[in-house]
Amino acid sequence: MTITLSRRLMIVGMALALLLPAGAAMADKRDDAAVGFVQKMGDIALTELTGKNISGKEREGRVRELLRKNFDVNAIGRFALGKHWNTATEAQRKEYLSLFEDMIVRTYAQRFGEYAGQQFNVKSAKAISERDSIVNSQVVQKDGPPVAVDWRVRNNAGNLKVIDVFIENVSMAITQRSDFDAVIQRGGGKVEALLESLRQRKK
Amino acid sequence: MPFMSRPKTQIAAKTFAMLMCAFLLTATTGCTSAKSEMHTTAVNDPLEPLNRGVFAFNNALDRALIEPAAKVYNFLTPDFFRAGVQNFMRNLRTPLIVANNVLQGDFKGAGVASARFVINTVGGVAGLFDVAGANGMPFEPEDFGQTLAVWGFGEGFYLVLPVIGPSSLRDTAGLAVDTVADPVRLYAFNRDEEWIYYTRGIVEGLDTRARLVTAVRDMRRNSLDYYAAVRSAYSQKRRSLVRDVNPDAPKAQAVQYYDEGWE
Repeated sequence: MTITLSRRLMIVGMALALLLPAGAAMADKRDDAAVGFVQKMGDIALTELTGKNISGKEREGRVRELLRKNFDVNAIGRFALGKHWNTATEAQRKEYLSLFEDMIVRTYAQRFGEYAGQQFNVKSAKAISERDSIVNSQVVQKDGPPVAVDWRVRNNAGNLKVIDVFIENVSMAITQRSDFDAVIQRGGGKVEALLESLRQRKK
Repeated sequence: MPFMSRPKTQIAAKTFAMLMCAFLLTATTGCTSAKSEMHTTAVNDPLEPLNRGVFAFNNALDRALIEPAAKVYNFLTPDFFRAGVQNFMRNLRTPLIVANNVLQGDFKGAGVASARFVINTVGGVAGLFDVAGANGMPFEPEDFGQTLAVWGFGEGFYLVLPVIGPSSLRDTAGLAVDTVADPVRLYAFNRDEEWIYYTRGIVEGLDTRARLVTAVRDMRRNSLDYYAAVRSAYSQKRRSLVRDVNPDAPKAQAVQYYDEGWE
């Protein structure tokens, strides 16, 4: 009895000993992947999206391409709609996600068009859950202190997508959700109020 | 201004009474503790209609006066000048920051802030240059609102103050305490040189607003409900300051906060 128990303990101990460094190494590898992913995306964004020599339409097209490739827009959209996702009809959800993507594209096309940053440095990453990591980066401005930009990157079986961006610790997804929730609440709790507001924006 | 000629004791007594009211309110209505707020993104705003009114007033004032002034300031002054102004203003705030660090039990932070004050005052030409910051001692803002949070006081509720802008019951109480304890104010009022205090207030406000020109424009343009977006951003920012998120460190404390609402 004692022998089997100690044998079991030994086996468990050995298994743990094998697993622990492997787990740590895996986390490191995942962090490295997330850092590389954000750095690459940032480099591409800065070379392809900034500058005054591309037209607004062209910039929007490039932003949309980069966004679809690197962001889980549907997950972000669902999060931003919060509890109202459940009350929305299938048709409303579909229209909302499309309007949401348009809005993000317009917003970021504008931001990149006016981008005055000088440097984009990715610093480190930290796993916060089984799938998600936070990647810390800095945008060094021409004037003023560097801006802290953190990326929440989700790993779906090796496929990396950004699901939230924190600017100086303020989450864009959470801010968006509060914004949308206020529009819906002031519109009598109807998702249609938000859709109408987003449609207006498009014009 | 009539209130300027009033005896100091009366002002102090009035502020104290205001504070006590704020504290009592926090104690009775602040059901959520600072700790539980760390894990949620909701903002308690029972005074929303009133807040929206004050917000609209502030916004109109900003567009008419403050934003144009900030833009002129940005346009007319070189970068190094504005950096000097910010460094000087921060240095004047540092004794108050040290006091709040100590009250929060953050003695390491108090040490860094004290060192910053000595180094920048002596080696940085009365605080015009942030020598300490350039040598690995970054500026960390602390105020009595954050101290109250560390002591376990909840935000109470969201509050938009006239001219000053977004705040909460707790942060308003904190602001009142910081104002009363502010060495610059005490010095100026004791010497009957109140202009020092008011000038500092105006310059500090202008400096802050000038740094926010792009951020505010972006938020006005890209939010559907500007009030709600600012309310959320303010609360997130304050909560991150209370968590004392160090941008260079892993955000272990904030992990649960990130988790809300994601599948």
